[in-house]
Amino acid sequence: MTNPAEPDEPDRPAAPAVRPFLRTPGSGPAYAPASAPEPAPAVPPGEQPASLRPFVITSGRVAGQDAGIGLETQVSALPGATGARLSPEQRAIVQLCGEPLSVAEISARLRLHFGVARILVGDLRAAGHLDVHVLENDFPDPETIMRVIRGLRSIS
Amino acid sequence: MDFDPYPDRRVVGTARVPGAPQKTTPPVPVKIIVAGGFGVGKTTTVGAISEISPLTTEAEMTLEAVGVDDPGPATAKTTTTIAMDFGCVTIDQTLKLYLFGTPGQSRFSFMWDDLVRGALGALVVVDTSRIDDCYPAVDYFERAGLPFVVGVNTFNGQLGYNLDEVRWALAIRDDVPVLQFDARYRASVRDALLVVLDQALDKAMRMRSS
Ligand SMILES: Nc1nc2c(ncn2[C@@H]2O[C@H](COP(=O)(O)OP(=O)(O)OP(=O)(O)O)[C@@H](O)[C@H]2O)c(=O)[nH]1
Ligand SMILES: [Mg+2]
Repeated sequence: MTNPAEPDEPDRPAAPAVRPFLRTPGSGPAYAPASAPEPAPAVPPGEQPASLRPFVITSGRVAGQDAGIGLETQVSALPGATGARLSPEQRAIVQLCGEPLSVAEISARLRLHFGVARILVGDLRAAGHLDVHVLENDFPDPETIMRVIRGLRSIS
Repeated sequence: MDFDPYPDRRVVGTARVPGAPQKTTPPVPVKIIVAGGFGVGKTTTVGAISEISPLTTEAEMTLEAVGVDDPGPATAKTTTTIAMDFGCVTIDQTLKLYLFGTPGQSRFSFMWDDLVRGALGALVVVDTSRIDDCYPAVDYFERAGLPFVVGVNTFNGQLGYNLDEVRWALAIRDDVPVLQFDARYRASVRDALLVVLDQALDKAMRMRSS
């Protein structure tokens, strides 16, 4: 069964890596454990949130194209995007990112698993709601490191 | 933005809406990993220097059982959710340092490439009463080519072993610094991080000249 953070591990345990309460039946087959599907909880039809939230969590997508998005990657909301079709999690992310924020902070503040936060951020970027400032270089250059050194030295 | 302070670090994948009002330009993030066994003082280290009280994020880490005797096909890989503490230090408006505290277990080697990608380096925190707890972190950073420094956290000023003994026990290269610090004090953590940054600078210079 797939799992957002480790798409290429077919033999790992079936437990999905999302918060348990997000594993509602309608959240897509990708999050229902193949071997042991959970019984659908008895929810009155009017209160069944899953049917109203087609984009809940990650729409069954796994990481991969978002591989460039790291823990520290900065994310900021793009103005003018309407939240009409966004899931509550996605809307919360856009609202948080009025000022630039790292994906790790998004994950911590919304109590979303990092792998889930990263996928949602990737989707929101694709949909034009977020600026995701992915850095091209793998290792910082000497000038940047020198500036960190000077900055830390000034801490007392 | 009227100038580009980081010509080497081009921002890619930024899809701005034309004509949209200018938003705050985010800082360039850099990160240092604070690794070590359980209870060695990772969170204390992060909290001592961070300008925010440490936050926690949960993430997947692939664990591989360390089976020295039996490297056969049964080598078990499992994925575990780990809780990582992190904090940050704003260097200036355009540069922000993140610190990620990540746990290790002595019987598993961990692999998490998201964590080391783009990292400046790592501080491996060691409690001398349980030195072997840090072996997986040392193994991993060596293999990943990430600059690292071994920091012996002096619980109450007590060192079970001296630094040479720690170096010997870890069998690390001579150019890997082993130092003593106190995770509770900002100045002590700052100095330990400066040694990590020194190693990172060496690597960046080597990369530039090659
Ligand atoms: N006396 C003393 N206590 C310390 C020192 N560093 C950490 N501690 C204490 O040791 C305990 C563990 O420290 P943490 O910073 O939580 O360790 P950790 O590595 O984050 O632990 P886990 O996240 O549980 O693996 C806490 O009660 C700290 O207050 C130190 O240098 N001296
Ligand atoms: Mg901790």
